[in-house]
Amino acid sequence: MSDEPIRGRRRAPLSPVALAAGAVVVACFALAVFGPALALHGEGAIVSRHIFAPMSAAFPLGTDYLGRDMLSRVLYGARFTIGVALPAALLASGAGTMLGMLAAVRGRTLDAALSRTMDTLISLPTLIFSLVVVAALGSSITVLVLTAAVIYTPGSYRIARSIAVDLSATDFVKAARARGEGGLAIMLGEILPNMVMPVLTDFGLRFVFIVLLLSSLSFLGLGIQPPYSDWGGMVRENIEGLSAGAPAVIVPAVAIAILTISVNLLIDNLPGRGSPRRGE
Amino acid sequence: MAEAIAAGGERRRRIGAPPPLAALIARRIAISLLLLLAVSVLVFAGTEMLPGDVAQMILGQGATPQALAGLRAALHLNEPAWLRYLHWLWGLLHGNAGHSLVNGMSVATLVGRRLINSLRLALFTTVVTVPLALLVGITAAIWRGTTYDRVVNMLTIATVSVPEFLFATLAVLIFAVRLRWLPALSLVMRGASFLELLRAYALPVATLSLAIFAQMARMTRAALVNILSSSYVEMAALKGVRPIRLVLRHALPNALGPVANAVALSLSFLLGGVVIVETVFSYPGLAKLMVDAVSTRDMPLVQACAMIFCTAYLLLVLVADVIALLANPRLRHR
Amino acid sequence: MTDAAGVAAKQQTGLTMSDDILPTLPGGAALSGDLPVTSRRSLLGMAMAGGLVSAGSLVLPAEAAPAPKRGGKLVVAGYASSTKDTLDPAHASNSTDYSRLFMFYNGLTVFDRHLNALPDLAQSVETTDAKNWVIKLRKGITFHDGSPFTSADVVFSLARHKDPATSSVVRPIATQMQEIKAAGPHEVHITLTGPNSELPSLLAIYQMVIVKDGTKDFSKGIGTGPFMVKEFSPGVRSIAVRNPHYFHHGKPYLDEVTFFGITNNAARVNALLSGDIDIASGITPLATRQIKAAKGFEVLNTAAGNYTDLIMHLDAPTIGNPDFVLAMKYLQDRERIRDSVFLGYATVGNDQPVAPSNPYYDASLPQRALDLEKAKFHLKKAGMLSSKVRLVSSVAATGSPDMAVILQDTARKIGFDIQIDRVPANGYWSNYWLKAPFAYGNINPRPTANILLTLFFQSTAPWNESHFKNPTFDKLLVAARAETDLAKRKQMYAEMQKLIRDDAGIGIPVFISDLDAYSTRVKGFYPIPTGDLMGFNFAQNVWVDG
Repeated sequence: MSDEPIRGRRRAPLSPVALAAGAVVVACFALAVFGPALALHGEGAIVSRHIFAPMSAAFPLGTDYLGRDMLSRVLYGARFTIGVALPAALLASGAGTMLGMLAAVRGRTLDAALSRTMDTLISLPTLIFSLVVVAALGSSITVLVLTAAVIYTPGSYRIARSIAVDLSATDFVKAARARGEGGLAIMLGEILPNMVMPVLTDFGLRFVFIVLLLSSLSFLGLGIQPPYSDWGGMVRENIEGLSAGAPAVIVPAVAIAILTISVNLLIDNLPGRGSPRRGE
Repeated sequence: MAEAIAAGGERRRRIGAPPPLAALIARRIAISLLLLLAVSVLVFAGTEMLPGDVAQMILGQGATPQALAGLRAALHLNEPAWLRYLHWLWGLLHGNAGHSLVNGMSVATLVGRRLINSLRLALFTTVVTVPLALLVGITAAIWRGTTYDRVVNMLTIATVSVPEFLFATLAVLIFAVRLRWLPALSLVMRGASFLELLRAYALPVATLSLAIFAQMARMTRAALVNILSSSYVEMAALKGVRPIRLVLRHALPNALGPVANAVALSLSFLLGGVVIVETVFSYPGLAKLMVDAVSTRDMPLVQACAMIFCTAYLLLVLVADVIALLANPRLRHR
Repeated sequence: MTDAAGVAAKQQTGLTMSDDILPTLPGGAALSGDLPVTSRRSLLGMAMAGGLVSAGSLVLPAEAAPAPKRGGKLVVAGYASSTKDTLDPAHASNSTDYSRLFMFYNGLTVFDRHLNALPDLAQSVETTDAKNWVIKLRKGITFHDGSPFTSADVVFSLARHKDPATSSVVRPIATQMQEIKAAGPHEVHITLTGPNSELPSLLAIYQMVIVKDGTKDFSKGIGTGPFMVKEFSPGVRSIAVRNPHYFHHGKPYLDEVTFFGITNNAARVNALLSGDIDIASGITPLATRQIKAAKGFEVLNTAAGNYTDLIMHLDAPTIGNPDFVLAMKYLQDRERIRDSVFLGYATVGNDQPVAPSNPYYDASLPQRALDLEKAKFHLKKAGMLSSKVRLVSSVAATGSPDMAVILQDTARKIGFDIQIDRVPANGYWSNYWLKAPFAYGNINPRPTANILLTLFFQSTAPWNESHFKNPTFDKLLVAARAETDLAKRKQMYAEMQKLIRDDAGIGIPVFISDLDAYSTRVKGFYPIPTGDLMGFNFAQNVWVDG
């Protein structure tokens, strides 16, 4: 089977889709950094007696269930959404991938130990795990990031390991071993370059999952505290406005969709990725 | 190598004499039992660590010291934790999952019907989603880089980026409240006709499908594209193998491991991870039962649910690993 | 997992009382003109009511013009549902349990819409000294299994609450009954530890309903009530079918009542609007907009005495500073809380717990209003203007996260920083309530002012939320129980309200209304000022039309 490693990827120019997606991602990140400075009102400021107000000149994105300015809240929310989900997804995906490769390279004992540990971790009910974390460590953004990362590491591990195990049985990895290359060199030099695509795709998915998980964890008292809220939390707290079509519930949902779709489109269209090699 | 490619799926049978698959599976099952034991210890410890005990949860605001002391004694909560754990374990080994500390009903009774409900919902969702997701993933890989691929990718991500409770609520508002085509509650009564069944399950299954579809479809595509970009498949392509055949005959068998794992991960979500769907549609399943049990610190019930979820997960990943082994027999030498 | 908090949101327990309508006698108006059956004077009225009831004239609600229709099925969704669901009166702890208790059992007495405790299984409840009571039981009543109802059942049902092993939630009330003994098959004598003219009201509490002597397995729901258990699965649903031998002739009107909990508010409302259920209990104020926009649905607004209060432990460092406490009371933007959090479905409170619907409510007590200047003055005086405080809130205490946000926003206007700690609803009552020095609580209505004040403000009360210790208050509280002169008693309650308003560490910005949404095919459904679902006794009182 794939007995030739992939080395020296061709550098293709960014496709228009990648450029567009990248621009949106950058814009979202800019919001996370500068958003609060652009907001007209504080995130917790109750500025209107009119709840679930429609879009208007005074409140361009309407008001929420307490009469707070949604534009300001969404601007603030970017920081809590991206600022938590990105590090958590990087941690989960990074740790999962590294451990997955390690299990594949280091042979059966470590593989079994790591795999069963991850299976145990993923078998722990999320609710109990989260509540224990709150009880033991209290509530903070750091704890939130770590909890989300731990919850999603085993999944990443499983995917990464299954690919890395296939790769480590290939002749080119055997050849590398025969050359006397160390485990780390094999992991980073031979295996990782050959699984970039699935790993990145997995990362993109974890990112989406974590964005959606945040509001649940915050609801359990883990992490983002009022008046602050992430976008998912805003959808949740304003859900009762849905039947009236309030922008307060639709806008943050659209914001999540824009963010997660653009991140994943960017991943799909990175140079050397989605560009097909038909070889015709 | 060229020979191997030409032989396609046939080649795997000619390699070495790996340990029999049955032995591997047997060993994994043995390890799985140990793992269940470990999980039960952790779940027990976790539930113990949570602030408040079942007596406080039962009494709620009414927890006066005397009432608490009385109830704790009645529930044997004064015994040391390890003893209570062993007591539970001993019962389980004898096929007795114990009684709920909250209402005294047998755990088997409480879990029984809900388990069937949960399995039924999971099954329907699996039947609808898995073939579709694999089809989408494979076709996107075959026509990678085309507009079809891009559109499908975007839609797939769009489905998973909608918060479940938003989709569920919106679906209910449209199909149950506004149009009145479907019921807002998925309470299936015994003796329901097939059509009633279909109507009751339409919205929950749709919601769950959206949640798990993306992971399966996208990982399938990613695993396939990854294999397709490796040089041996490129070589096959150079030999003039048609793209569809390339994907199905050459790439798919080699991508089965990660694909099976992605499917297993997605499906493992369908028992324990469906609290929102069970809540929004008032569907009496296990996920909600577990949440209730955790809120009341009802240890035997928490354990029963955790064991079921864990068993389901272990079975799914075992199947995934066996598929990976069958797809790539070289792994058996590890 | 995500809705875990919501699940526990309403699970608080305690002696939450409902009142209830014994659906009204033809001559009931005159009777209910009497104040609660708490004084010797009104005992005569009680006996009279008993006579009327046994005459079997309990058929027509006095207020409702159209005659009730018999037959039909009703599907009702409450907001609480878990495996904790029980038909054991001693452990009933939320509206779902209470509603079921009143389907399957009866009390010795039952509240009407004016909080009068009328005889139900009792024929009469009499005393001369408010300490020794004689209860005569109605004859010829049978339990669902056919066995006769006698004094042994009453003694068993009441005495089991006193046994610590029962772990009854009404034990503190039951222990007031020093002796409960049968005097023949249809008479029970109760001796109290001290005089309490409110015993008839205490017996009307839903946990005090009568079960069969010796009952161990409560899941069968064997009582004397209007319905019998057809199915009861905790956390799933109950199906109640008409008891053909019910002793109130002509009742119940319905053939069958299905009751289950839908913990998610939106799901409950949508189920109603899509026609899957007939009544959705305990809906949020926001949901009323959706209900009102739809045709064929109504909202039942019950202005009960439910309140969410800001608690400050008076003996805690900094938080307990009287100036800080006063500042927090002045920082309550009561109108905004009423309008923004409860959309008007609330009445402004005055930092004391007796609701305007209570006969002992003192309307002459000056209303405390939002006053930023005074708040700033007191914070300065306490030296706390620049300090940071952490305020614990949870959805477990209805509306408290939003009330906290409003307080935070108001406090910012005078440069005072409050940090909100939103904690899980799961375990809130055991882990935060009564423990955190600066937090929110939520108190459900109680049937009498005395029970409410005894439970939450007496110096020795285990649930004394703010650690309020006031000897004058304690004396008034005990004296009011024995006082039989209504005017004097009212005066005593007024004094107690003032003491709490001025000195307790409790801020009560509003009293929250209970909201039920229902299909207009449900008839005979009207509010009772202390709880939702007609004081949880809707099942035998409503009928369906169309």
